[in-house]
Amino acid sequence: MYKYDHIDQTLVDQRVTQFRDQVERRLNGTLAEEEFRPLRLQNGLYHQRHAYMLRVAIPYGLLSAKQLRTLAFIADKYDRGYGHFTTRQNIQFNWVELEQTPDILAELAKVEMHAIQTSGNCIRNITSDAFAGVAADEYVDPRPICELLRQWSTLHPEFAHLPRKFKFAINGAKEDRTVLLCHDVGIELQKNPSINHGELTANIYAGGGMGRTPILGSLIKQNVPWQVLPSYLTALLRVYNRFGRRDNIYKARIKILVKALGPEEFARQVEGEWAQLHNATKQGKDNFTQAEWERVAKHFTKPNYKILSVLSDEQLQSHAQSKLDANEKIAFTRWLERNVKPHQVPGYACVILSLKPHGTAAPGDATSAQMNAIADLADQYSFGELRVTHEQNLVLADVEQAELLNLWRAAKNYNLVLPNIGLLTDLIACPGGDFCSLANAKSLPIAKAIQERFDDLDYLHDLGDISLNISGCINSCGHHHVGNIGVLGVDKDGEEWYQITLGGDQGNDASIGKVIGPSFYANEIPDVMISIINTYVEQRSTDEPFIETYRRLGVIPFKEAAYKNNGKHSKGAAV
Amino acid sequence: MNQKIIYYPKDGKPTVIANEWQVWDGERDEGGIPDLEHGFHKVLVPFHWWITHHKNADVAGRAGKGEIGVWFAADDDILKHPEIIEEGKSLWPVVGAHFPIFRDGRSFSTAALLRDRFEWQGEVRAIGDVIIDQLLQGARVGFDAFELRPDQNLEIALKQFDLFSVVTQNSWRDQRATIA
Repeated sequence: MYKYDHIDQTLVDQRVTQFRDQVERRLNGTLAEEEFRPLRLQNGLYHQRHAYMLRVAIPYGLLSAKQLRTLAFIADKYDRGYGHFTTRQNIQFNWVELEQTPDILAELAKVEMHAIQTSGNCIRNITSDAFAGVAADEYVDPRPICELLRQWSTLHPEFAHLPRKFKFAINGAKEDRTVLLCHDVGIELQKNPSINHGELTANIYAGGGMGRTPILGSLIKQNVPWQVLPSYLTALLRVYNRFGRRDNIYKARIKILVKALGPEEFARQVEGEWAQLHNATKQGKDNFTQAEWERVAKHFTKPNYKILSVLSDEQLQSHAQSKLDANEKIAFTRWLERNVKPHQVPGYACVILSLKPHGTAAPGDATSAQMNAIADLADQYSFGELRVTHEQNLVLADVEQAELLNLWRAAKNYNLVLPNIGLLTDLIACPGGDFCSLANAKSLPIAKAIQERFDDLDYLHDLGDISLNISGCINSCGHHHVGNIGVLGVDKDGEEWYQITLGGDQGNDASIGKVIGPSFYANEIPDVMISIINTYVEQRSTDEPFIETYRRLGVIPFKEAAYKNNGKHSKGAAV
Repeated sequence: MNQKIIYYPKDGKPTVIANEWQVWDGERDEGGIPDLEHGFHKVLVPFHWWITHHKNADVAGRAGKGEIGVWFAADDDILKHPEIIEEGKSLWPVVGAHFPIFRDGRSFSTAALLRDRFEWQGEVRAIGDVIIDQLLQGARVGFDAFELRPDQNLEIALKQFDLFSVVTQNSWRDQRATIA
């Protein structure tokens, strides 16, 4: 993975010094809270319900074992012994003190980490495919571009006070695991022999987003050579900075601007700006150079893989037969099926460690003991590196197939091998009303209740792939819009209610879910889930996943089932 | 208004100097530039006011003496008036770009466009709700003078400009660092 050079290290060290001074001015009263707020947000510091929360960037999802140990150390020393992995490749600490944040940031800087631009109206942490560089379906390894753009966007002076937050996602694989179209800018990388001399180019999507107005991004520019991304993105952001709405926070995202202008007109304005930035007299001084590419790309070479032969699932299982008892055999087989993914290199596999135990911890939470254990596992089995997924799980990306059983055993001790990846209980949830000041409703108890109600692994496996995403408010940090089943907490007359959406999806067929009707009380949600799932089970054809059944039948049978028994509780009007 | 400004030329050092330019908000417009505060004879007028009044004898006369500059509001689209801005290069010793509130970043783009698109060589001054913690960004995008909000501590302000010895993107003031 990427290693900081002198430039990167100097920058994060100096950023800590800058923030230390700002915190001091805040504490001695010379800097007002209103003016401190954007500064702390751009250093990842939120003021939450109970305490300050610190959001630390894990750029494009890559972490080293050493960094993870530092996160565990921070959790113990400055927090309550755990951290929360988010849907956008960050980790959050929920109980930090303002006075201590400069020290925490200094600890992070020692291991090449920071919290720069993880919040605020600026370019946020750039996210990508958690399986970048190892995914079997990858066209282009996106990580060098992610890193070049991370550097380009870090402390960008012109875009430090945009109308609203601005999120990039970058994908280079056939399957989209980045929720590309739900980002302000989605960058799809490709190589085409007839374009840019066969070198990397990008298709640019803009104006996607979730929140109050979920919209999928529009393609606004094709085949942008990688070298000119800085000037093209400067043009795009400049148009947004100048013309994005600032009069209404709910209409300030780029999606509203793109929608108001229309994607064609927006693209035309960006093109006009870009022509000026990129004209001949400027000689492409903003372009990424080959030397810069090499400086970054050399860190993303393949690790020292062994020459191994591929093991089939049957071989893996029979290899394990003699070493496991009957229950373990079932568990291990299921784990191979759900939590182990194919790898580019023969004899290797990607392993997803589930941070979704049924009802015993919040989705995405990891204790410091787990973090230290995972760091050890990464050292032992996966070249000392790991990744964070959009679904709030962790990945050991380079595991020898022959070591899978040993890894499974070791990870089992830390409750990390629940074979539920991609299943209903592998749900995404924001911290919700338990922690977040924005939330209208709690997310975690809903997640817990659903996980407890669907605690039968046989049944879950039979149901197959279903994504369930839960947000505690319309800000949609739980990405409920793109869940096959989405749950959104809403506030009605001071009470917490939950609205259900169906038919959302991420990936290449990304779609926004539709609200099925009036919202439900919290205690009705597990029964509503059962009704929806039963409808699917009754109606599905062989091997048809939930989303396909929904698309074939439409909302009506699901809606009827959901309201059959619950209609008497729910309020008459959809929110 | 602030009696002092920070002046930070592109290839120089930031210093505190006396403010010679009064910003007129364009209110109470009785057809001409109002009386300036005691001791002032140079004024920044709203860009839109200039567009409609620059042919007035009084305005043209004072502009000829180098006593008039303009300031751009955050929502002024300077790209719609390229000819006027080109002419302004020889008329306005100083132009301002206004921050209605410190967290409105539109004037960063205005300054960047002035420097980059119009190749503006004269002074570009940040005015309005200008606070210490914007100076660094402002200096990088194209501002070389800052009229800070009067409650801001100029001593702390002067320390802002050398907080970072490296940058990772090009701007008016500096090229991105690369390891040779």
